[in-house]
Amino acid sequence: MSSGSKLAKAAGLLLHSPPGEVDDVFNDIRGIVGDDEALQSHIEPVLAESNMQQFLVAEVPGGGGSKVLLTPYNRAEGGRFVDPNTRTTFAFDNLHRTASDPQAAEGGAGEEEEGLRAAVQRELDAYVAAHYPAGAASAFAHAGAVVACVVSNRFSPGNFWNGSWRAVWSYDPATRQLNGSAKIRVHYFEDGNVQLDTQSDFTADVPAAAAGDDGAAAKKVVAVIRQYEADFQQSISDGYRQLADKTFKGLRRTLPVTRNRIDWDKIANYKLGGELAHAAES
Amino acid sequence: MADYEECEQMDCALDLMRRLPPQNVEENLLTLLEILPELTEDLLAAVDQPLKVRQDSVAGKEYLACDYNRDGDSYRSPWSNAYDPPLADGSMPSDRLRKLEVAANEAFDTYKELYYEGGVSSVYLWDMDDSFAGVVLIKKVNDGTARSKGSWDSIHVVEVLEKGRQARYKLTSTVMLYTVASGAKGDRQSEINLSGSLTRQDERELPVEDAAAHIANMGRMIEDMEFKMRNALQEVYFGKTHDIVNGLRSTADAGEAQSRERLQRDLFSQLKARKD
Repeated sequence: MSSGSKLAKAAGLLLHSPPGEVDDVFNDIRGIVGDDEALQSHIEPVLAESNMQQFLVAEVPGGGGSKVLLTPYNRAEGGRFVDPNTRTTFAFDNLHRTASDPQAAEGGAGEEEEGLRAAVQRELDAYVAAHYPAGAASAFAHAGAVVACVVSNRFSPGNFWNGSWRAVWSYDPATRQLNGSAKIRVHYFEDGNVQLDTQSDFTADVPAAAAGDDGAAAKKVVAVIRQYEADFQQSISDGYRQLADKTFKGLRRTLPVTRNRIDWDKIANYKLGGELAHAAES
Repeated sequence: MADYEECEQMDCALDLMRRLPPQNVEENLLTLLEILPELTEDLLAAVDQPLKVRQDSVAGKEYLACDYNRDGDSYRSPWSNAYDPPLADGSMPSDRLRKLEVAANEAFDTYKELYYEGGVSSVYLWDMDDSFAGVVLIKKVNDGTARSKGSWDSIHVVEVLEKGRQARYKLTSTVMLYTVASGAKGDRQSEINLSGSLTRQDERELPVEDAAAHIANMGRMIEDMEFKMRNALQEVYFGKTHDIVNGLRSTADAGEAQSRERLQRDLFSQLKARKD
């Protein structure tokens, strides 16, 4: 394998990083490659992709504390990002995760979906504040649709766990169709490596609001999002119950059918375990 | 310098494997082997992978393949003691140890039937200077219904240090548990993949009156360990990770909870005012 494709493979592992551990995975990749200079050109685009994949929350420079998610829906030319709420574009250093060079965004207020977008942002903020203790959300106008992105991260490496909830919802005002997906990843790593990975995709028609009433339309969109995310969370609880009650119990018993631990001194007398298990059942 | 570098690379590779999704351990390991071909043997020895089931056509029984019964590209069956594909000079346990291995395979086959009600087990022993070591492997796959599937892989590595009528046993146990549930509600599809591994260690010094006592000693230690690990898996997989999910999103509306609290406070102060 050429050294270039080795470097690309190594850099690509970053995209499989658990939530909150991108820096650790990056350091492991550096240690494995052992050549920072050669790695640099391969890692930069991967870091940019990783930050967008994780919906990194950036503080808008000169935005008075305003925050925006980094996503494929608000990426501008030259690796810059747009914050539609403050109508600012800014540069972003994907390695150090710092924003700089704010500039006024062109357009924005005049765009067709801006009224609906701003209304969705307001509804989304209220919804996220109600249900996500550590959440953030951004709404963008993108390709004729309003795209709502939600992220909620909780990192507790000192207690050996990290978790992330991400959802993206795309609403097309022309068809009133809402498409979305929510994804959860949890990493638990005390004396092991246990991960939950779950994703769910949704499609729905949003009820119509009075023509021209962006506020009412946004309320209806976010109400559907709220309902589906609640259903998703419920379905995960059901899935857990199924896995614990059926799948896990079917793999290994707590005790043999006899309800006694094995008498290891006599185990030679068992001869065939199958015979004994059947004898105990009858 | 070269040694130092390799050592650091190995540490980083192992740390990486502890972070990358356990669902893709084989795929991730292959990627690492492509990047670090010079560490192939070390990585294969150090990274636990799901056990593979192979068929011993001579004995007509299934056995488990892992790095401990591998020689080159061949695997030794504990039942017929033959390598597949055949190897003229494959490494073998000494006669004394092979006898113990045969008895251990029989004993753990019984253990496996009693606790797993199916599955495959294999025990491999190998000689060490003045002593020996071994690995007890158990695999159970539950194809279950279309809605939920799972597999359990136990890897118990035991180092035995014989000293007269006593022996010191150092046990390192890894259980890999893979579970997948898929749910569909209307046109909505979701898949829950909860997978990974936990590792625990134990060390005991126990009396050894005859060779068979080794099997009983290892058996008790492994039985105790699996009992504890089953509880730990239950707690971590179905308790801890679920709690973390419910910490990411709260089912209750924080605003509603606050206004309920405010309402209660108001009522309380009104009642109090009336009383005063």
